[in-house]
Amino acid sequence: MSDELDEIQAIFFEECAEGLTAAERGLSAMQDGDTSSETIAAVFRAVHSIKGGAGAFGHSALTAFAHRFENLLDEVRAERIAAPPETVAVMLTALDVLSDHVAAAQGTIATPDDSGSLAALDAILNAGGASAPTPAPAPVAEPEPVAVEDDDPFGFEPVAVAIDDFDALDGAPIDLPDLDVKPAAAAEKDAAPGWHVRFGPSNDAMANGAEPMLVIRELEELGGRVTGYDASALPPLRELDPENGYVSWTLELPEWCDEARIHDAFDFVPPDSLIVIEREPPPEEPTADPVSDSAQEAPEPQAPVPAEPTPAPALAAAEPAPAKPKARPVSDARAPDHGSQTIRVDLTKLDMLLNLVGELVIRNSILSDRLDSEDQERVELPELARLTREIQDNVMSLRAQPIRQAFSRVPRMLRDLHAETGKIIDLETFGETTEVDKGVIEKIGDPLTHLIRNAVDHGLETPEERVRVGKPEAGTVTLSAEQKGARIIVTVADDGRGIDRVRVRGKAVERGLIAPDANLTDEEIDQLICAPGFSTAETISNISGRGVGMDVVRSNVEALGGRVDISSVPGKGTTFTLVLPLTLAILDGMVVRLGGQRFVLPLATVVETLQPEPDQVRSTTPDSEVIEVRGQYIPVRRLPRMFGLERGERRPIEDSLIVVVENDAEGQVGLLVDTIDDRREVVIKSLEENLYPIRGLGGATILGDGSIALILDVDALTAPSLHQTRAQMRGIAA
Amino acid sequence: MNDLTLASENKTPSDMDTAGEMKIVTFALGDQVFGIDMRSLIEIREWAAPTPLPSVPSYILGVSNLRGTVIPIVGLAERLGWEPSVIHPRSCVLVVAISGKQAGFLIDEVNDIVVIQQNAIQPAPDVEIQEANVISGLVQVPQRATDGGEDTHSMVLLLDLDALAITRHLDLAA
Repeated sequence: MSDELDEIQAIFFEECAEGLTAAERGLSAMQDGDTSSETIAAVFRAVHSIKGGAGAFGHSALTAFAHRFENLLDEVRAERIAAPPETVAVMLTALDVLSDHVAAAQGTIATPDDSGSLAALDAILNAGGASAPTPAPAPVAEPEPVAVEDDDPFGFEPVAVAIDDFDALDGAPIDLPDLDVKPAAAAEKDAAPGWHVRFGPSNDAMANGAEPMLVIRELEELGGRVTGYDASALPPLRELDPENGYVSWTLELPEWCDEARIHDAFDFVPPDSLIVIEREPPPEEPTADPVSDSAQEAPEPQAPVPAEPTPAPALAAAEPAPAKPKARPVSDARAPDHGSQTIRVDLTKLDMLLNLVGELVIRNSILSDRLDSEDQERVELPELARLTREIQDNVMSLRAQPIRQAFSRVPRMLRDLHAETGKIIDLETFGETTEVDKGVIEKIGDPLTHLIRNAVDHGLETPEERVRVGKPEAGTVTLSAEQKGARIIVTVADDGRGIDRVRVRGKAVERGLIAPDANLTDEEIDQLICAPGFSTAETISNISGRGVGMDVVRSNVEALGGRVDISSVPGKGTTFTLVLPLTLAILDGMVVRLGGQRFVLPLATVVETLQPEPDQVRSTTPDSEVIEVRGQYIPVRRLPRMFGLERGERRPIEDSLIVVVENDAEGQVGLLVDTIDDRREVVIKSLEENLYPIRGLGGATILGDGSIALILDVDALTAPSLHQTRAQMRGIAA
Repeated sequence: MNDLTLASENKTPSDMDTAGEMKIVTFALGDQVFGIDMRSLIEIREWAAPTPLPSVPSYILGVSNLRGTVIPIVGLAERLGWEPSVIHPRSCVLVVAISGKQAGFLIDEVNDIVVIQQNAIQPAPDVEIQEANVISGLVQVPQRATDGGEDTHSMVLLLDLDALAITRHLDLAA
């Protein structure tokens, strides 16, 4: 039982994360000047649903804060308060606090101090409220949809009603002049009612943040409409507890409604609320409000007091007009949520499916190995292979997600960094929609976080410094993603001061990472910042500079089968490039044979294959050779030697093949192999699952005959400088 | 196909572990008889040459395909500090689970599955092999005579599999 609750709660937190992302996106758009009602409504919805869920799970601090935040959003949504950049900034801060509250509800951090943010929200609310007319003189207070001037159903804005204005009533029961309970007949004349629903939220419902309006909305979407309400339980204003539920509503739904769906609407309503769902209208049909008969006016009945369209003086003053146009876009915007059908699937199930498909691919290649082409045709193997490939593509696409997910936490991080460092940071992002395997997205989050912190902390200068060197006051951090062949290129760039090579070098000597007289190129010096235990921060800040960062970034990325490139121009900035595999599971490969063993080369790295002439390969040193290709000399590597697999005599070079591979860092390199077997898609099996990652190998795969072929990591094999610098560093570190 | 199934190997009347009892698999390695906790054993496979790996310790003989999973094959004799095993027709591979990972151990011959009393396990004298004490205890088990003669007793060295975890040297290095 509690497991089930945990599960539901886990879903809630997932939704919170999605909601926060959506709100972040919306607020960022608003900051950029997009104050369209859809954008605002999206932010409102996100915060609102977080509040609702939080209430249901009893996260009171989160609920309370979300509620206050929502109040402001609602005012903005109703265009009662404008949203200039300053207001959006306050809302962004509030969003950060909200996300801290969510984290606190998850138990990962302590409950945040939200007083500052609340004060800022209230300040805007009150300032906005001042421009709105003060509370109605008429006795119009309602516990739950309090906002008198607000015929937008979501607005419950207690601020507008000052109790003092009601002094005259002093203890007298609230008079509801225009809204006497009407006889049921009024409702029945309209349409033959199918379902009859009475709904009165309990006190607990209110305390838990359950939103009656949402329930009614949902029923309305089923085709229902509110036909009446019962406010007889309303106490005198003085005794009114705004947290309590006093009102119940009567709704009618068409006959064809599914009873289960009606019940679904009440899912998040505490069970002690009044919920009556009846098939036939009972004879003692309680109330009906003819005013709400018009479907267009649907939202109004929830604010029972001023429901009358003939405007009471108070209403006129409160500009009821904008309400209608506002309500429409909201429900329009909601529609797609229901339209796009999604289903949450446990990732392990997806992985299992992916594994099975992998097996299927392997079986397929076993069949094509064992059957001659005639038999293959006879059993329609090509068709099976095509289907298998299609299944594979589809399963892969299930795991692909836009990289936006990994980027989404960056704006917040930059705001925090701004607060901590005082540096002004503009963020530019490109290629957020690039789709990457979910596993990759999950694993690049931390490296990205670190790179960005680094960029701001070490890269960007303070505003004063920037102005002094003639740069704009605000530094720019650029985050981009693009797909290039089978790789995803993610870059984090800043326009700061660049890597201070003299200082890096000095530090490396000081730390004993390099010899004082070591002759290093600029690139090699830049690479030093990835050495374990290296940190140039003069003082250890809590942003970066603990010296565990860059080598962790590098090892995380390498564990994914990717690599980190650094390029830096002094005074102009630094760019970190993460080259990541598109997928962690499937590889288009070339199967080559070497000394009786088979290896797989990622096809994406293969440029061409050559049959060398006897004189085409020349030694430059006893240990290195080059091949001349169309006038260009390309280094040649002998894999058996690199792998220590060399056995017996060396094959004459003219009996071998050279596969020219290319990597971004080293250019082209020729790998000497015995023969090329095949070209095929292989399923990558990780070595670290049961062993540990081995340098030079990207994993292993199972071939059609059940034997294992090792997948070569071309980047690691072709990067001699990396080899050497790493070996040097390792040697010293060990 | 050629794998022995454990069910047929199981000579004990009950599959249930009764209190104080444990089932061990005994096997020969060189001149010694070793035992591992039956619960760690996944399966016993016929020896097939694994795919060699570059730049790994020499006792890691390579990787094999265990029903779609790539598992390392460890020369247990070499790992324990003896001469590497010589492959012969009865050589086989014990596939075991060690702290969440799977590995295959090359051994000379599987002997038996026996039930021992926990309290019959004697502490191992300090047999430090490399970095950890891989022998968790000694126990005497009856040895069925293969030539029809008297049954004898033999000493079985119980292996601490966790100490044999492949990544252990990495953990220690870190």
